Amino acid sequence: MAGGHWEPIVTQVWETIVTPCDCCGQVVAKQLWVAEVAGEERRFCGPQCEELYRTYVLERRGR
Amino acid sequence: MSIDPVTLTILNNAFVNICREMGVTMMRTAFSPIFNEGLDFSCVLFDRRGNMIGQAEFCPAQLGASLFIVRWTVEELGVDSFEPGDVVLHNDPYRGGAHLPEHSVIRPVFHQGELFGFLANVGHLAEIGGKAVGSFAADATEVFQEGLRIPPVKIVKRDENDMELWRLIMSNHRTPRNTWGDLNAQIGSLRVAERRLVELLDRYGRDLVEQAADELMDYSERWMRSEIEAIPDGVYEFSDVMEDDGVLAEPVDLHVTVTVDGDRLIVDWTGTSPQVRGPINATFGVTSGATYNAIFHVTDQNIPKNSGAYRPIHIIAPPGTVANVRYPGPSVGGNTETHPKLADMVVGALAPALPNRVAAAEGGSACNFLFGGVHPKTGDYYANYHLEGCGWGAKSYDDGNDAIIVTNGNCRNTPVEIFETRYPMRTIEYSLIPDSGGAGKMRGGLGTRRILRVEEGAEITCNALFDRTKPGFGAWGLEGGSKGGRGAIMVKRRGEPKFRTFSEAYGTVSPSKFTNIQLLPGDEVLIDSPGGGGYGDPLERDRDRVLRDVEEGFVSTAAAADRYGWDTAG
Repeated sequence: MAGGHWEPIVTQVWETIVTPCDCCGQVVAKQLWVAEVAGEERRFCGPQCEELYRTYVLERRGR
Repeated sequence: MSIDPVTLTILNNAFVNICREMGVTMMRTAFSPIFNEGLDFSCVLFDRRGNMIGQAEFCPAQLGASLFIVRWTVEELGVDSFEPGDVVLHNDPYRGGAHLPEHSVIRPVFHQGELFGFLANVGHLAEIGGKAVGSFAADATEVFQEGLRIPPVKIVKRDENDMELWRLIMSNHRTPRNTWGDLNAQIGSLRVAERRLVELLDRYGRDLVEQAADELMDYSERWMRSEIEAIPDGVYEFSDVMEDDGVLAEPVDLHVTVTVDGDRLIVDWTGTSPQVRGPINATFGVTSGATYNAIFHVTDQNIPKNSGAYRPIHIIAPPGTVANVRYPGPSVGGNTETHPKLADMVVGALAPALPNRVAAAEGGSACNFLFGGVHPKTGDYYANYHLEGCGWGAKSYDDGNDAIIVTNGNCRNTPVEIFETRYPMRTIEYSLIPDSGGAGKMRGGLGTRRILRVEEGAEITCNALFDRTKPGFGAWGLEGGSKGGRGAIMVKRRGEPKFRTFSEAYGTVSPSKFTNIQLLPGDEVLIDSPGGGGYGDPLERDRDRVLRDVEEGFVSTAAAADRYGWDTAG
């Protein structure tokens, strides 16, 4: 179940590195979906990736 | 209440045709052959929430990446920041883009004072600066060597050019006049499409058009889910390898796991090699585009291509791998050399589940050959991005196509007459390569050979970014089909008796990826594109087909005997 919250990405003008989603790897523009999964804080592009992380990624990694 | 099917179809076709007209405008007004001959651009329509609601049939790599480019741009700038007449320019590969030369222009469309959505044109500018002419630095180790990187910025504000920005961009490109002409062609095509979209909104009303867009996306999603449901559930894996990255002479591994789970599809690139130093890394936009490209090849071609069709497809591309480059890694070849391998791998993974819908691998190299210099007849600096078609993979029911640009490109070649008019190189030979199609019950498509000679008075700086030129790296076959023939990029300097690889002639690390080699008058360059893989046991090939291949010169008599068991005595 998705149980996270949105957090804005705050960057300085000189920061050009972008933040990827912990599940799909997609770059995230303005806000991250932050959730605790298997005891660790994870950053996603949205609740749908949290869901995919729980139902696919964790399963494949045997956790 | 739902919209009737006839109106829905009319509006879907209108969305597509707005994008097509954008493309025709682009083709007719651009300066560079890569646009008006090669058609290396794509045109798309989005709603204001960042959903794609229409696309024209141009370049699959750009179409897939545009989903991320437009959404990123709107999120980064903020949807409220757009005003009528604005145009945003963006080529950042780390912000959803495909590779640095791919420049997106995005224009908001307002109707009766309210934002309806966005039109976008993604085009490959032929020269954007960096260490190599044509901006394909095949030995680049950072994005900064690949050209000028532009985050989403407004190059046009309320229909007024921001000339300060234009001057900054053009002063970093080698052929600024072409930049001016080509970018204005892209921007002009948006204006034409905007006019058509506003006419559509006037005619049908905004509420109906928006409802139709939503219903069409839901329809596409349902259709795609039903296609996926028809694939047997399971976990399907596939691997391929690229010959080198242009910096180190070592092969690079690619791996995919495709999970079919009811009506959803998960395509996971975990297991692919860590990011490499050279420029064959793919961006997330490229890997996603390749995945979508493959899925669209094995599902019903009539599914309307809008955001709904993409919803059931989930992609995982671990950052810091060849499938998802991290800043500031280079990526220019990821879009041309890696994309076709990735797309073919998804198709190959699904081969056990969909034997009659898949194909063997295609040649899988755009055979990027880039060159420039001062034209001896005009005194002007020129630059050209030249690419070749290769052989496509055979299918269970037919041979592969010959001489077709890689699956990510959907581009056309530049006619010899146009090429020779624009650039100081003469075409000595342009032909199909016999025996380059992988043997099989169905034969792989043939690659091409082109030999170019530098004209008197000219001095050319060239770069190349190819793949599948080394032994063992040919396009893979399926069900017992053989690999396709290898590609090549070779040189014969004036007075020399035969062609040699650039590694032999100039000491380049890679024979297929190099930068800034000087060619002099009389020097010749040989370009062989790879052939496609075969499908099925060659000994089961229909004898009439073998005979026809021999008669047409597609297969030599020796290969007919050796590979197909053809009895030359009749």
